[in-house]
Amino acid sequence: MKTVFRFVLLAALVALGVWLWFVLFPSPEKAIRQRLAELARTASFSSGESDLARLAAAQKLAGCFSTNVEVDINVPGRVQHTLIGRDEIKQAAFGARSTLSGLKVTFPDINITVAPGKQSATVDLTVEVNIAGEHDSIVQEMNFTLQKTDGKWLITRVETVRTLS
Amino acid sequence: MSARNPVQQLSGRSRSQVPRWLRIVVIGRNPKVTLVRAAVLAVLCILGYKFTLLHIRVEGISMLPTYQDGSAHFVNRVAYLWHEPRRGDVVSIRLAGIHLMYLKRVIGMPGETVAFVNGQVLINGQALDEPYEKLPCGWNLPPEKLGPDEYFVVGDNRSMPSENHTFGKVERNRIVGKAIP
Repeated sequence: MKTVFRFVLLAALVALGVWLWFVLFPSPEKAIRQRLAELARTASFSSGESDLARLAAAQKLAGCFSTNVEVDINVPGRVQHTLIGRDEIKQAAFGARSTLSGLKVTFPDINITVAPGKQSATVDLTVEVNIAGEHDSIVQEMNFTLQKTDGKWLITRVETVRTLS
Repeated sequence: MSARNPVQQLSGRSRSQVPRWLRIVVIGRNPKVTLVRAAVLAVLCILGYKFTLLHIRVEGISMLPTYQDGSAHFVNRVAYLWHEPRRGDVVSIRLAGIHLMYLKRVIGMPGETVAFVNGQVLINGQALDEPYEKLPCGWNLPPEKLGPDEYFVVGDNRSMPSENHTFGKVERNRIVGKAIP
């Protein structure tokens, strides 16, 4: 009985160790998915935010990007915008939160390709944006480039993909 | 004198309490056959939904009046295994994946030149008959030559300005399947 108990305890400890290893050192793909989930969560908001909350959210959103990030958004008939650097992203996010009454961002399809050195990756994804009060959602395919900087996966480039040209 | 097992007694009683017709409805005359049937049905459903039919819900008005906003349909993923998309087919076009797709009609085939003149589609300079096109259209777009692997797709509702409508050339590998009306 004692041996069985010891065996079960050992197995539980090994399982805990494996689980901790994957939590503390996630695979690049998992880390990138977590980063994108954080981006979607931070970019989404509902009405009734205070200015301080808007600023904090914009700051947090900018933290998902590298300092020299380049965001090139070109959705024909909707948006055509280029943002360079974290500050411009922060300003744009704060502006959007002040003007719109609500926004929901989701990434329903994500395809990640990690470079052989595991220090950079490209992500092809679909973005769905629902603006509060608008019936139709905006759907756009986008391409993200991420780089591992100081152990964090940061977005260095964002560009729209023209599915139909 | 015999002492019956209480479990046996209980199961015997509960079996007798269930009407025979109800047992036949729920588990069939032969439970083993019913189980096999259910398993086969489950496998067929999984294979069908995963590899053959894709359930979709239409969002937006770009395919009006053929496909209504909010209506549910299926996409046949094996429709183009034996032949390529044909003119007039309504196809689903993947973006980064298949959770969100475009639903459009094929009007131009590979190698053709497509143009719009006062709302009329011209294929290689010839007017295209479009019986599905019911709403007024005044688009004017210059001729566009399609590559060997490209199709020209557009929605049926062209009553809005062309800038507000998603349409254009699409590569064959993005076409997921044919929509079933």
